[in-house]
Amino acid sequence: MNLDPVQVMKGQSNPKDPTAAPVTASSNGDGKGAWEEKEEFDQGHLGLTTKPLLVSCQRRARKVEGGIFFPKPENAVTIAVSSRVLFRTETEQKVYEQKGVEEYLRYQVEHENEPFAPGPAFSFVKALEAVNARLRELYPESEELFDIVLVTYNHAHVGVRLINTINHHNLFIERFCMTGGSSPIGYLKAWQTNLYLSADAEKVREALSEGIAAATMFMSNKLTEVSQTQLRVAFDGDAVLFSDESERIFKAQGLDGFFQHERDNEDILLDRGPLKDFLASLGKLQKKFYAKGHRLDCPIRTYLVTARSAASSGIRALKTLRAWGLETDEALFLAGAPKGPMLEKIRPHIYFDDQMFHVEGAAEMGTVAAHVPYGIAQKHPHKKSLNTGN
Amino acid sequence: MDSMVRNPDVKQRDAAQAVVVAVSSDAIFDPEVEQVHGATEPLRKGDAFSFMKAIQVVNERLLTLNSDETLLFDVILLSNDSEEKHSRIIASAKHYGLDIGRFCFCNKEDSIESLQSNEVKLFLSMDTNDVCKALQKGVPAALLYHQTDPNHQTEDQLKVVFSGDVIGSSEEMLHGLREQGFTETQLQGFKTAKGSVKEFAILMGEMRRRFGLEGSPLCTGLMTVWSSRDVCASALKTLRGWGLLVDEAFCLAGAPRSPILNLGFIGNTMKSSTYVKEGRDYSMYYGLEV
Repeated sequence: MNLDPVQVMKGQSNPKDPTAAPVTASSNGDGKGAWEEKEEFDQGHLGLTTKPLLVSCQRRARKVEGGIFFPKPENAVTIAVSSRVLFRTETEQKVYEQKGVEEYLRYQVEHENEPFAPGPAFSFVKALEAVNARLRELYPESEELFDIVLVTYNHAHVGVRLINTINHHNLFIERFCMTGGSSPIGYLKAWQTNLYLSADAEKVREALSEGIAAATMFMSNKLTEVSQTQLRVAFDGDAVLFSDESERIFKAQGLDGFFQHERDNEDILLDRGPLKDFLASLGKLQKKFYAKGHRLDCPIRTYLVTARSAASSGIRALKTLRAWGLETDEALFLAGAPKGPMLEKIRPHIYFDDQMFHVEGAAEMGTVAAHVPYGIAQKHPHKKSLNTGN
Repeated sequence: MDSMVRNPDVKQRDAAQAVVVAVSSDAIFDPEVEQVHGATEPLRKGDAFSFMKAIQVVNERLLTLNSDETLLFDVILLSNDSEEKHSRIIASAKHYGLDIGRFCFCNKEDSIESLQSNEVKLFLSMDTNDVCKALQKGVPAALLYHQTDPNHQTEDQLKVVFSGDVIGSSEEMLHGLREQGFTETQLQGFKTAKGSVKEFAILMGEMRRRFGLEGSPLCTGLMTVWSSRDVCASALKTLRGWGLLVDEAFCLAGAPRSPILNLGFIGNTMKSSTYVKEGRDYSMYYGLEV
């Protein structure tokens, strides 16, 4: 069995399909009816003559040609991050756990003018902003951008400190919800969230069950440097982009059973997984760069990093992606080899995997990894000691 | 010239210490198009009905904590209805067990005066004109929304949400709005609104402090619709200066607010939302969402 990971570069062997199926940027949840219809207000009745626009911000490097505008959620790729993944809040978490909520809030207010340090999702968010800057240059009127919103269970008492921190780090986050303890799922759906990142697995599971792509992030002490100019997003295949059906077969029937099943079903598409739509929304933005001649230096790059083998089980994965009209820039078939070293080479801003074992392995080598708690792997977590390769 | 009728079934509050809230009867009871002469059955529930119930829960909890509590909601039902309907209104309130301290019957033209003489801290109505007129005369007022989704109505928590755009407004921010096309009248409206909401915010802060952080029947919030996050931060600090530490905060940056207002929220606690927000001549009335 060939254990060398095989890289398949997009566009080398397969000519690009010029008629890729159109995919929508956001297809989470329901309730996508036109929001304007829900406004029960007759603005004319109130004597409103001009439509109030946004207050222009005084921050430098934020002004764009034609003024600043914030995209409508249905047009943008909405990324919701919680305060605990965007920033480092371990000290405050300890206060909360040891001394209770009142003391925790008092502590936050007391330290209001001390900005938090960057958390695991920080470099990802910065990379999203870099892509936005490029998109705005090429399409100044378009609302098809990343829209980063802060969604936290925190009480609004922490609000000032969070806003001060956002200002300190010069982040372009204007939308946020501090729910004071209640579930933000409703807001995530209302804002047609394309991806939700949180430190809390429960909340992530809740989001997934509501059809919102979500993943849990963890703070790692080792972080390799990532690109400042190109957003790199890596995905595991099964139970992330695809359903967990093959993993179920693997768990039930072992490796041989898995291979047989994949061979028998090679031409049958895999079912979709929780992050399929997010990949689609990235692809849609990539095409905007291609359309303006920026294929080679596209500031978004996607990777499939899968334990499948290129020559056998990987074929079904590729066929499925192609049938969906999706592709990743690179597809790495590890045939069971550990993912850590490959990820360390790629240096994605974020890597999604359904197995904690892989997430931890990646984090050990300095990759920001996010756990997608979906599918059969959650019931039977892979034990590290059983792995032959690591 | 109005006629104030005390509700014999409800213990009268000390109006000087209470949070006097006047609610238009058209909001509490469904204004029937056809008035059947001599009809006696209770009026149908209106859109603010569950809000009334939520207020009741807050009052009950306050009294449980302190049976001598005087900082309670004191509700006046304001009615411009014809005399023949008066007894039916009173009977309906009794039928539903509503915590209405007084009934104020007056002509439409005299409403503002009645509100002023009764030192109402907040006036709620479904009629835009009524709300506008009240605000112009310096009476804090908010518009009730017609809440159509019955799933989003709840009675076990009262949520009061303030506008960050108004409270966080500053000369600098208003200047920015001027550049965006707001008129001077509208901008003046912001300033007036900020002044008139202050007292109610202070009272809500005091009342909120009676309860702990969790399990409170009163939930307070801040919503900034148009302005930047710095305006929201400024609003949070202003409210804190007034003694109100809000539980929730939202900054929409122009995103439509109705999904937020319409949300009943997932989970066990469904909340009734009260948006207390003043503004003149522009679409910044949030109204009462129950």
